[in-house]
Amino acid sequence: MFRKVRRRTDGRRNFDSNPSKGFTDDLSRYPRRLTFYRMPPLEEITLEEFETWAIDRLKVLLEIESCQSRGKKFKETSSIVTPILSKLLPLNPPSKESSSLYQERKKDHYSHFILRLAFCRSDELRRRFVKAETALFKIRYQQLGLQEQREFVDSIDLPWEEVSEGEREQFRDQLLSCSYNAIRSTLMQTVDYQRTQHVTDQQISAYLDTVKFYRLPFEYVPELVSTRQSFLHLGYAYVGEFQRLSLIATEFSNFLMEQLQATMKALPTLDEDDRLVPVLNNLSKGYVAIDYKLNGYGVGEGDGSDSNDMINAGNVGQFVQDFPLCMQILMEGVQQNHHLRYSGRQQLSLFLKGIGLNAEEALKFWQQQFTAMGPGSMSVEKFNKDYRYSFRHNYGLEGGHIHYKPWDCRTIISKPGPTKNEYHGCPYRDLHRDELSTRLQQLGLEDDTRLGEVLELSERGEYQTACTKVFELVNRERIDSCLKQGVKVDESSIVHPNQYFDRNRYLDEHTEPTKTK
Amino acid sequence: MSNGDTTKPPKKMTNEPYKPSSADFANYYENFMPYKSIFLWLNHSQAPQNDFTHREFAFEYKSGAYQRYNSFANAQEFRNTVVKAQPVRFEVGAVYPIEPKLRKSVSKNMMKPLMKEFVLDIDLTDYDDVRTCCSGTKICPKCWKFITLAIKIVDAALREDFGFQKLIWVFSGRRGVHCWISDYRVRILDEPKRRAIVEYLDILNVKSKNKSGIALRKPYHPHVERSFEILRDQFVDIIIREQDPWRLDDRYQDLARSVPDYRLSSALLKHWKEDPGSSSASKWRDVDTLYQQLKIKSFDIQDWKREMIFKTMYPRLDVEVSRQMIHLLKSPFCIHPGTGNVCVPFDPSVREFDPFTDAPNLSQLFNEDETKWENTSLKAPIELFNNYVNQLVNDEVKEKRTRDEVKDNLEF
Repeated sequence: MFRKVRRRTDGRRNFDSNPSKGFTDDLSRYPRRLTFYRMPPLEEITLEEFETWAIDRLKVLLEIESCQSRGKKFKETSSIVTPILSKLLPLNPPSKESSSLYQERKKDHYSHFILRLAFCRSDELRRRFVKAETALFKIRYQQLGLQEQREFVDSIDLPWEEVSEGEREQFRDQLLSCSYNAIRSTLMQTVDYQRTQHVTDQQISAYLDTVKFYRLPFEYVPELVSTRQSFLHLGYAYVGEFQRLSLIATEFSNFLMEQLQATMKALPTLDEDDRLVPVLNNLSKGYVAIDYKLNGYGVGEGDGSDSNDMINAGNVGQFVQDFPLCMQILMEGVQQNHHLRYSGRQQLSLFLKGIGLNAEEALKFWQQQFTAMGPGSMSVEKFNKDYRYSFRHNYGLEGGHIHYKPWDCRTIISKPGPTKNEYHGCPYRDLHRDELSTRLQQLGLEDDTRLGEVLELSERGEYQTACTKVFELVNRERIDSCLKQGVKVDESSIVHPNQYFDRNRYLDEHTEPTKTK
Repeated sequence: MSNGDTTKPPKKMTNEPYKPSSADFANYYENFMPYKSIFLWLNHSQAPQNDFTHREFAFEYKSGAYQRYNSFANAQEFRNTVVKAQPVRFEVGAVYPIEPKLRKSVSKNMMKPLMKEFVLDIDLTDYDDVRTCCSGTKICPKCWKFITLAIKIVDAALREDFGFQKLIWVFSGRRGVHCWISDYRVRILDEPKRRAIVEYLDILNVKSKNKSGIALRKPYHPHVERSFEILRDQFVDIIIREQDPWRLDDRYQDLARSVPDYRLSSALLKHWKEDPGSSSASKWRDVDTLYQQLKIKSFDIQDWKREMIFKTMYPRLDVEVSRQMIHLLKSPFCIHPGTGNVCVPFDPSVREFDPFTDAPNLSQLFNEDETKWENTSLKAPIELFNNYVNQLVNDEVKEKRTRDEVKDNLEF
């Protein structure tokens, strides 16, 4: 892929139906699921594969970043990312049939290298990429079986030596006190523990003798050093088998950082195919939101007959508290002015379509709003003449009969922000800090530190993360109560206003109706 | 270091305000400051190399002005500049990819530090919540004991755990000490790894002061265990008898609140309100007594006692000084402008450092001899430093040969 593109072949050939010749299913190229990505890819792939694979990986990495920004612990991040990972970038265990394994590993391999090209270009991008890739690496390592973990560890070259019998004996007490808690939690996952519900010191001590210990210069395991989880002696850290992940992850991130710097230096000479440049530029902007699958949002094929009849022109106002902030502001705007400018109309009407307001009710709603009594209100005739068509158009009832989707956050953010008397856009991007802060307080965010965190996310340009965080903070109690009852809660980041609404409704359904907003 | 002379003048008080004059500084810089030793110490070789020539020095002037990014080609230039500029002190920073004084000629990205000694800064002002004898900039032999303990604990960890060998302790001139570690492997560490070392040492978690409990995980890590062995026997003498902090109104409440059981904690507060002036010893016993009486089961009192020992006496480290590579620290042999004391290096393995007898003061030095350091009490510290530096340079040359061989092998 990074081979210099030979223009002279006029190589813009489209691939034939059998794209890969010679290398098909050659699993020997990818002997293991997990990899340090030492070998660059060499085969040709289609431009479409190039783009979709990269985007799929980017979605995973962005989700990881979002979890990290929201202060999720590693375990939480792992459980949030895993479902997305198995959809977009699965790496199945070796028991599966090998042709799909090859494809999976190839996609993982190529997408990693494509993103290296996109993310090597600045210090900031490199750091972000390394951080997210390292987290991904750790998540995947933990999904490996014990045997696979051992094989993987043996395959990488690290300056560690096994601690000799004599030394083990000499430092037995120290090794025990450093590994006590780790061994304890390992034992708590055994079948034996399920029965007895306790772990004795003897068990822990006995287990210690079955564990291999390695020693290596302390610089290789800064995480274990800073948390005092490793015994240190004369510059060496003594690391138990069960702590290897920390070590490997540090090694992985150092290696990747070096590689990115090398890639950046090589970039000017790579002579990229000019079809790739825009793709890479777009990727490194990092602005790919995860597609939100609206579950057959309300009105389907135009007439709205299969729509959710729960929401209608009369009661839609009661659901405002479940709307994300951007839509709440639009609702306020329309109610105050009895009008909305074009962008606002589009953003709100498609959102309302998404929450299940059918075409007929939507027209009623907009007509009521626009023609209501008040200053600047219009006549029904004017409404019918100037607006009816465009609202019906949004529902695919006019013109090209296109089934328009509600805007996702990416669409909203890609459009120009509101000017005076406009209400569309993303409040985390568009509102002044003070106004945003007031708005958030009105939503019930009273804790100053939390509020500050949201404001800071907004200022850093992480608008979706800010919005997701607001959702979590406002609904903290409801989410906790769901989790306590064992009800699943989707904690991935919000990338679509309708997702915000759906999650609110989901929580409504799964918690006691005691919510006091 | 003391020259062991019994005819030495009587104990002088370090806290006595003695502000050295400009003439004092001029004479000291002209005749006493061991430029060559400092050059060797930072250069790790006889001939000037990047370790020195790309090294940042910062000058602080009498006016309060602070001038960063000075750099020098050799010991002579270093000396001439200091003598001419007459700073009240100078600080040592990191080694950069280019000479720091040329920084304006390159892009900002080039000015990232490459190497630096690993440094630690321990200061008595950070002990003000347990000290009762002094506060702020004042020190006395009683509270200096905290520093002596800190040196013991940190020195042991640096040598035994991290395996560092090239380390030198330096009196900071008034109320604390610095430690400079020059082992090659630590000089090249990046900030995350420096952070790892200092966090390993910083078991009180000084950075996050809002956390009330230090929550030492059991079983204790060997470093925690060893530190406890060092601190345990001193607790009664230093805290209970000498400092006696809980005799004071505002502090006994902290003691009561540090008990992790609400019932016991409020019982103690009530009890002590009736007799607030009772000694720390008696209050320490009260915790035991009431713990038994109320049959408290929610926590183990022995654990709590151990934690109190750590909380009151464990070294308090300045994490940022150690972590940041761009951070500068006052050079050994500078004069503390507020006290006139020389920031002398010392070797705690030879003798515990006593700031009241071992740190010569400018006025004392000039009384001994106006121009020849060999005739003053600066002789011992300079010789100690020279021996240390010579060893450092010799070992460095040997190590460098090995490093280069390994490198050559890798590069065919």
